[in-house]
Amino acid sequence: MSLTVRTRVPAHRRRPSRAVVDEVLARTAVIMLWALLLGFYVIVEPTKMFQSATVHSIFASQQPLVFIALAALTTFVVGEFDLSVAGILGLAATLVPVLSVTHGLSVPLSCLIALAAGVTVGAFNGFIVVVLGVDGFIVTLGSASLLLGVALWASDSVPVAGLDPAFGNIALTEFLGLPLSFYYGVAIALAFAYILAFTAMGRHMVFVGANRDVARLAGVRVDRIRFMSYVVSASIASIGGILVAAALGGFDASSAGTYLLPALSAVFLGTAVVQPGRFNPLGTMVGVYFLATGILGLQLMGAGGWVVNVFYGLALVLAVSVASVVARRRKSS
Amino acid sequence: MSATQQISTAPRLKIVGLSKTFGRTKVLDQVDLEVAPGEIHALVGANGSGKSTLVKVIAGYHTPDRGARLLLDGAEMAFPVGHGNPASVGICVVHQDLGLVGHLSVLENVSVGREHPSSVLRLLDRRREENQARKLMERLGVSLDLRTTVESLAPEERAVVAIARALRTEQPGSGLVVLDETTRALSRDAAESFYRALRKGLSDGSSVLLVAHSLPEVMAVSDRVSVIRDGTMVANGVPTPQLSERAIAKLMLGRETAIEVRAHAPTTPSTGAIQVRGLSVSPGNSLDLTIGRGEILGLTGKAGSPWERMPYAIAGVERPRSGQLQIDGSILDLARSSIRTLLANGVALVPERRDTHGVAAGLSIKDNITLPRLRERGRPWYAGLRWQLQEAQAAVDVLGVRPGDLRMPVGKLSGGNRQKVLLGKWLMNAPRLLVLHEPTQGVDAAARVDLLQAVMSAADAGTSVLFASSDVNDLSAACRRVVVVHDDGPSEELLSSDPDSIVESVYRQVARGGAA
Repeated sequence: MSLTVRTRVPAHRRRPSRAVVDEVLARTAVIMLWALLLGFYVIVEPTKMFQSATVHSIFASQQPLVFIALAALTTFVVGEFDLSVAGILGLAATLVPVLSVTHGLSVPLSCLIALAAGVTVGAFNGFIVVVLGVDGFIVTLGSASLLLGVALWASDSVPVAGLDPAFGNIALTEFLGLPLSFYYGVAIALAFAYILAFTAMGRHMVFVGANRDVARLAGVRVDRIRFMSYVVSASIASIGGILVAAALGGFDASSAGTYLLPALSAVFLGTAVVQPGRFNPLGTMVGVYFLATGILGLQLMGAGGWVVNVFYGLALVLAVSVASVVARRRKSS
Repeated sequence: MSATQQISTAPRLKIVGLSKTFGRTKVLDQVDLEVAPGEIHALVGANGSGKSTLVKVIAGYHTPDRGARLLLDGAEMAFPVGHGNPASVGICVVHQDLGLVGHLSVLENVSVGREHPSSVLRLLDRRREENQARKLMERLGVSLDLRTTVESLAPEERAVVAIARALRTEQPGSGLVVLDETTRALSRDAAESFYRALRKGLSDGSSVLLVAHSLPEVMAVSDRVSVIRDGTMVANGVPTPQLSERAIAKLMLGRETAIEVRAHAPTTPSTGAIQVRGLSVSPGNSLDLTIGRGEILGLTGKAGSPWERMPYAIAGVERPRSGQLQIDGSILDLARSSIRTLLANGVALVPERRDTHGVAAGLSIKDNITLPRLRERGRPWYAGLRWQLQEAQAAVDVLGVRPGDLRMPVGKLSGGNRQKVLLGKWLMNAPRLLVLHEPTQGVDAAARVDLLQAVMSAADAGTSVLFASSDVNDLSAACRRVVVVHDDGPSEELLSSDPDSIVESVYRQVARGGAA
């Protein structure tokens, strides 16, 4: 066979087809499910669901989840795994009232120290995982326990309260009916989404997560990105912790761990939205508020406290299953 | 075992009409194979020929497509063979890694997995184990102390222990031993003494299916040879004396897909040449190369030898023992340079392992193609979209990627089209030196033509290309000069693009051996 000049078919254009419909369905499935859920609750509990307090509580009360989910997402995007994010949020949220109320430091200084502590923990995780090459799952599971212990020790195992109410304004001041802390979460998610979609750094992160060797061979600084993901993740969690402390006027160190599971559910659920098969910030936000709606509705219907555990646990299993099925279908036809 | 009692003329192993399909790819197509009692039957084939899949079917790991038959001593076997435990039907597979436990003794390794009838009888049983192991060693004609640990043995002795364990469950004169690249780690002398032991152990009628890379070894020890290529048997049980290494190599690689030879390639290094000096990836191995501007220099050697690491050493992916790269007036120490340094100096690598090192399957064609240039072509806070679309479209058009939907995940493309995306990614980098390793492996004939043509156009435009491949047809189509790297002597430069002379040079080395 000798070389022949190839006749070139013009660039392939696809007409809207079943595939496009499938794609749209896939991208919006969770959002539609959310709408269904809302509709269901509205029918069952019309009076309670329509109150503005309900809407307010769905969107205003999820700050710890939002920040923990976005922090975890930062590591997931690059193929790492950080289970200590709730612990870091808890540490920061505990340090702020402990330092300013118990030890009399100024509030800004307390916040700075809380942030520095969080970043240090992130760097510690990153060092062990990336430089020493230890499995991130195990390392951060260990850090999570370690951080809970430190937070309990710092607060003498009792909830600390009494933060300056004026400080609470940075989180609680309302704008268009919702507190500022809601907008902070949205802003971080939007910035994160922009970075992933439109900057070289973001694309490099996505490639490190998708295939480390491909990224390395293309000259991407893989280890630096992996290390930084732990540091940035810890920073987001610490900022979240400071805002949570501000909003509550204090913090109960022992409560931090309860946020981890629902935050992870939201992150995995988010892979079924907006960009199916990928960890993405906007999907994560949808995931957080989807779960919040579910829980609140159940509680309005009079379910007991146990329903929270059942719902979040079930949601995590379902979300991970959906995420892996979607990812598999995307990778190969 | 009952088979020994019957005096049977049935072949030890008979495979009829075996096909195996993965997804949409047919890896094996109506394969037949017959291994006679007491013979050493060699199975050879290039990477991606379907050889390993066939071995995995015989080892009970894969179930073949409907309609396949596999008979052992005339008895029809159900799939998967031996329900995934081939030893239960008399097939013993010895893998390349031998599967021995280093810190345990020879006796323990030979006897591992035997069930003790009871702990009371264990003492008695131990004596029986020792006797059996001693008999096995006698059968193989070796004298090993059963109490020494396996890690203190020489490599060939370890291989013998693995064989002894494989033969443990066999009655003399029955069974089939599959040696899957078992001798790959052995030196030539070690392999010889190993095969002496094997011959002796099998002289009473056990059969061996020898899966080997080394053609001299196949010539030296096998009775018959079967060659598999592109999923079909192109030679079925040909008596070894009727063959030569060259004949086998030709059968393995095929001849019918010759491509038109590049007409106007410069044959001598000209100005702006790129030089590789003293590149050494293993002890006693050093290579100098000069690649002219616009030249496609071929690099080849025996499969599985250290030369396969050279492309990676030149691209900074692997650190060589030593080596220098002279490119556009800069001199780079390859033992110290990173991937990023070499990329910055205009070196681009198309690695052999397309799906693990070449492209990210879950990401789109556009994202894969533009990855290496995001930083320099965009602004820090906006990577830009238009140039990405233009560049990806250009690569898709030049190489004929189909379907050409830039947003499609690369994993949904065929192997040939994934390879095109990978080559396109680096061609768009406008490299000074393009290093290719097995650039047409596992692609269809049409994609191969597209890929080679794209490489030639890049060279015509002034890129220097190092074309590392074990596919002689590709080398002869694309290169005027081919450097053949030998493990045991200096490398050899061929100025001819004739596939036969390349094959001859690659496989000449063992005969030449110490003389060089």
